[in-house]
Amino acid sequence: MDRQQDFVLRTVEERDIRFIRLWFTDVLGILKSVAIAPAELESAFSEGIGFDGSAIEGLTRVYEADMIAKPDPTTFQVLPWRGERHGAARMFCDLLTPDGEPSLADSRQVLRRALEKASAQGFTFYTHPEVEFYLFEAPADPTRTLVPVDQGGYFDHVPRGTAHDFRRAAITMLESMGISVEFSHHEAGPGQNEIDLRYADALTTADNIMTFRTVVKEVALEQGVFASFMPKPLADQPGSGMHTHLSLFAGDHNAFHEPGAPLELSKVGRSFIAGLLRHSAEITAVTNQFVNSYKRLWGGAEAPAYICWGHNNRSALVRVPMYKPGKGNSSRVEYRALDSSANPYLAFAVMLAAGLKGIEQGYELPEGAEDDVWELTDAERRSLGIEPLPTSLDEAIKLMQSSELVAETLGEHVFDYFLRNKSQEWLEYRAQVTPFELARFLPSL
Amino acid sequence: MTGLPFGSGREPSLSLRLTRAGVRDTARGERLLASPALAGVLPDVAQVLPEHLGDTADPDLALLGLVALAEAVAGDAALSGALAGALADDPAARARLLAVLGASSALGNVLAAHPQALPVVLDPQPATGVPVEQVRAELLRAVHADPDSPVPVAGLVGAAGTDAMRLAYRTRLLRIAANDLTSVEPLTRMPATAAALADLAAAALEASLALARADLPDHGAQVRLAVIGMGKTGGRELNYVSDVDVIYVAEPVEGAPEDEALAMGARLAAGLARACSTASGEPALWPVDAALRPEGKNGPLVRTLASHRAYYERWASTWEFQALLKARPLAGDVELGRAYVAMVQPMVWSAVGRENFVEDAQAMRRRVEENVPRAEADRQIKLGVGGLRDVEFTVQLLQLVHGRADESIRSGNTLTALAALAAGGYVGRDHAAQLAVCYRFLRVVEHRVQLMRMQRTHLMPTTEPELTRLARSVGMRIEGAQGLSDRWRQVRRDVRRLHEELFYRPLLPATAQLSADEARLAPQAAQARLAAIGYRDPAGALRHIGALTEGVSRRAAIQRQLLPVMLGWFADGADPDGGLLAFRRLSDELGATHWYLKLLRDSGTAGRRLAQALSTSRYVADALARSPESVRWLDDDADLEPRTFARLMGEADAILTRADEPVPAATALRALRRRELARTAAADVLGVVTGTRASQSLTVAADVVLAGALRIARFEARRQLDLAQDPTSMLVVAMGRLGGGEVGYSSDADVLFVRGRADDEELAQEWAMATATRLRALLGDVGNEPALAVDADLRPEGRNGPLVRSLDAYAEYYGRWSSPWEAQALLRARPVAGDAELGERFVELIDPVRYPAGGLDLAGVREIRRIKARVEAERLPRGVDPARHLKLGRGGIADVEWTAQLLALQHAADVPGLRTTSTLAALGAAAQAGLLSAEDAQALTAAWELASRVRDGNVLWSGRLDGAHADLLPHDRRTLAGVARVLGYAPGAGGQLEEEYLRTARRARAVVERVFYG
Repeated sequence: MDRQQDFVLRTVEERDIRFIRLWFTDVLGILKSVAIAPAELESAFSEGIGFDGSAIEGLTRVYEADMIAKPDPTTFQVLPWRGERHGAARMFCDLLTPDGEPSLADSRQVLRRALEKASAQGFTFYTHPEVEFYLFEAPADPTRTLVPVDQGGYFDHVPRGTAHDFRRAAITMLESMGISVEFSHHEAGPGQNEIDLRYADALTTADNIMTFRTVVKEVALEQGVFASFMPKPLADQPGSGMHTHLSLFAGDHNAFHEPGAPLELSKVGRSFIAGLLRHSAEITAVTNQFVNSYKRLWGGAEAPAYICWGHNNRSALVRVPMYKPGKGNSSRVEYRALDSSANPYLAFAVMLAAGLKGIEQGYELPEGAEDDVWELTDAERRSLGIEPLPTSLDEAIKLMQSSELVAETLGEHVFDYFLRNKSQEWLEYRAQVTPFELARFLPSL
Repeated sequence: MTGLPFGSGREPSLSLRLTRAGVRDTARGERLLASPALAGVLPDVAQVLPEHLGDTADPDLALLGLVALAEAVAGDAALSGALAGALADDPAARARLLAVLGASSALGNVLAAHPQALPVVLDPQPATGVPVEQVRAELLRAVHADPDSPVPVAGLVGAAGTDAMRLAYRTRLLRIAANDLTSVEPLTRMPATAAALADLAAAALEASLALARADLPDHGAQVRLAVIGMGKTGGRELNYVSDVDVIYVAEPVEGAPEDEALAMGARLAAGLARACSTASGEPALWPVDAALRPEGKNGPLVRTLASHRAYYERWASTWEFQALLKARPLAGDVELGRAYVAMVQPMVWSAVGRENFVEDAQAMRRRVEENVPRAEADRQIKLGVGGLRDVEFTVQLLQLVHGRADESIRSGNTLTALAALAAGGYVGRDHAAQLAVCYRFLRVVEHRVQLMRMQRTHLMPTTEPELTRLARSVGMRIEGAQGLSDRWRQVRRDVRRLHEELFYRPLLPATAQLSADEARLAPQAAQARLAAIGYRDPAGALRHIGALTEGVSRRAAIQRQLLPVMLGWFADGADPDGGLLAFRRLSDELGATHWYLKLLRDSGTAGRRLAQALSTSRYVADALARSPESVRWLDDDADLEPRTFARLMGEADAILTRADEPVPAATALRALRRRELARTAAADVLGVVTGTRASQSLTVAADVVLAGALRIARFEARRQLDLAQDPTSMLVVAMGRLGGGEVGYSSDADVLFVRGRADDEELAQEWAMATATRLRALLGDVGNEPALAVDADLRPEGRNGPLVRSLDAYAEYYGRWSSPWEAQALLRARPVAGDAELGERFVELIDPVRYPAGGLDLAGVREIRRIKARVEAERLPRGVDPARHLKLGRGGIADVEWTAQLLALQHAADVPGLRTTSTLAALGAAAQAGLLSAEDAQALTAAWELASRVRDGNVLWSGRLDGAHADLLPHDRRTLAGVARVLGYAPGAGGQLEEEYLRTARRARAVVERVFYG
């Protein structure tokens, strides 16, 4: 029994915790939870908790259902929202096969593997996500028109606004769970909010995003509103992205930073961006995983649909934020395609792999884009060598299918499952007859 | 020698005296003795000195060094006097001085450069057993730091400080060397010398830290820094020149900000390393190596206690805990150093419970043996089999296994730990003592090699003078160079043997022990040890060990010799328990035969191979149990080589010639095939004959059995129909994998039966039918020997068509009906038994069918593709993941074969290379003809080969021929790991095999989609 486990056992005792929720994530990034009683905790640490994995998306095939969830004691957190006196707590789990090997189907494991690969080259990977989401009047009925909780715009202060209270409550709860919030504000769409998490190593951030989504849903429930991370819930309003700032550290030193270089960006940083760009199309199925994601990506405005980078260019796929003098360790790049519904473990893993590939192969960074790429004509974009991201899930799947980079990063099992699941989603989507079609064609045809 | 040998009277000449003392260049010796410098110190030096030179390692060198020293002290009355006094009247001082000068040119140079250190060498005060505080104080004072201060800061700075520290270090080093080199029992003195060297290194680090502090504006007051010794320094068993392995721990002093303190700590550490190892007026001491720190060279140089803990709890691997076993505070903040060691200790001693301990430990052992450059393998004292590292590894592994429960064996010092292990009853006292002697010997040799030039080397010298000098320096003057080399080789062999003895012998049950000196492990400790090396059922294993070794029989006595080693070899396999059980069965069966145990005991390879085969393959274990005499093959590669067709056919001929009755004859043929299956399987598992060669070997065995069985069947059919001779000729054509020469362990024999023309067609058909039916029965009926299922379903009209057709009937059928899939099946047709001329005519008949002129037409291509698509949809068993089905799955065997066959149907008429029954040959030909890109051909070949090997691996690992799982990439992790071992992967590489298969198949499928489906 190590100290962390000891600490957990003691806390459970002291805080009179009655339930411990073991959290893990399926291949699509949906949080799953198994509750155990404190008495089972010790054996959960030593042997893990067995469960039937066959019912969970992408974890196993039917005939080898047994899985083991082994809690990671460093992720122990008391859950603040079960207001009762006897609390509940949660830990994230690593998933193991019955013989104790890491499960090939565990998203967390996919990210761990990618991080280990980076670590073997001397890098630690840090991420800092800006999560956007919408708040609607509850209940949010998919068959009716959605009603946002307010009509505010970007950075608007809405007097007595639901959103304002909401953000305060959510942030308080996140902070009480040890998740630091950097920034929060009203976003451009009505009822749309953004909360930025503080940067941390990628595994912690991914855990935090999973917690974050749950917290936001919980707080919404408490306040009688409905929160959604759907990439594009309203056709005429901006979608919810998750712009993510990425940085690599070599030891204590930010590997993207080089004083005096253009944009203070080191060779490592430039190659990383080049890698992200070159592989961005093939990783899009992971970073933007639902049919709905492409409605955001191709919804105009600032959505990053074209593969290019720029310095403070709010239409570019990769943005190098303004450098603050004297803050060498804050050098970072922002990847803007990612949306709030992604599986953060898989998404971070493929983004990291793409960047590392750039470093390993010493990719040259192409010329940055200075214009708003949406304003350019197709011919102009072509002459500048700016390619588009996939326009649909179908196209993204096809690109991913032939990607050795993604296969290697996800592992063959997750890769295969993911593609099958997404192809199925596309088939089902294609079979729909939409209100748009009815409205346009029924009267005239 | 010149002049008269005895010219000057009774006294022997100076030259002779020098020769007797071992001086090689006597002329130079005489000149040196007459040198003015030496004569200036001691006028009658030629009278006094020569005999004393004989006690040194290298008399020539000692004399040279002495002259240089004499030149250095010239003009200094006190030093000259001391030197003269020592040489003339003080035997002990003289011996010390000459020993140092004769063993180390480097120390000789130090003395010549700093003659003021001479008194230290002459001083008889012992250098070992000195309190570490005294050494520390000595070096701190040298840099004008206060030894009593809790945080000593040097009064000297820059190069002056560095040089002062280094000189003080070397002065004490001279004392240690003098002490060491004049010992009459160097092996006895070795541990004390090594401890003194470690203490001296610690003191040097402390003084260097004081220097580093002095360089910082506030003397680094913000930070508490502890230097933790690892490796030999940590174990207090350092050698003369080696990297000093350290880890730095830093904590802010109360109230100081952590990041500033850490930055300061890093500067202190860098300054410390600089003082020890950068160039300066005085040469550098040794590199300070902090690579054992968390994250190795990529990690920050200093970390806080909490940061170390976080790393060890989350990220550290097993070998890091093994390394931490030796952690010991060396310098800097004592309290912090202790806190660090207290923090890591519990983790070290619970490392054995880590999930992958067994695999990690095995990998570590392999690294010990493998990380030696080839050119140096024979000269390495430290690495390699039987080297110092091997001893240390043995001791540390035992400590990790048993130290969890027993605190008395946790010392970081190799010899102390070994003694404690013996005292605790974990290893035999005798063997422990022998290993300790080996270790001391290797260390003393290493010390002496390093002393000469003060170089970090672990290589045995090669030239005769160097070896002679080395022999003289370790007290083997009489034995000389050859004696030293012999003993060294013997020690290396002993270390290897003692590893087995220490580790495995104590596992033998108490009842099996003959000598009271042997260690007897308590059952619990024995089980812990077995579990730590990979036995899954240690209690069961102990029972088998007991059964094999108990009793007073000769058999048991030999087993007691054999088993310790075998236990280690089983543990190297994927299934140690299975291996041990199979070994017990085999031994029960064969123990009484005169050759079995003798073979295992005397053959270098048979025992190891037997253990490897039994613990890797159920199939081989069963086969050996079936015909135990096959164990003999393991001794000789020639016996494992595939038998040629001619040789086996000769044997089959002999069987048939002697036989009177059909069924026993067929049984004998089947036994012959079983033997060849076993031979191939054993060779396959041992990596002697794998892949294509193995499947060719299996093909030959099937071919021979078919040919032999056809003869018996013809005979029986004649008898049944009361015929004097065959009414016509008969031919068996191999199809499928048999036709392609690609037979696996579980393959059936797909065939076509063809007969020739006859006058009486009806009779001929009746006879041919009887022959074919009989042949299938002879080979396929249930019997004592393994069956070969003969399957004729690929014949025209399948099961609805007649079993045998005449050549003319085939001609008519193919002329009228043939469909693309039949042409495809014929691509693999190969006459295998029966009438040769009929075979030729059959091939002439089918060539135009299977290699259609102009290539298969578009409709045919479409038809083939359609059938394949339907097969994919329908033939795959329900619930099976297509990616994992080796035969019918995505990128599996069928995918590749159909692609190769479609290319052949389309192009074989123009590309002769495609007219082959072999899949791989066809792919090669297609690539050569440009029908397939080289990468595509490579992707298909790789997938086909890997799928075939995994299929064979499934059979070899499980011992089961059939069942749904034979054609699947295993799910079960343990099976997967086992199959991976059969295929020659490293232990624990099941996941790697899985990834590799899925990837290879996925790539092949991409080619199939493109090339086959177009």
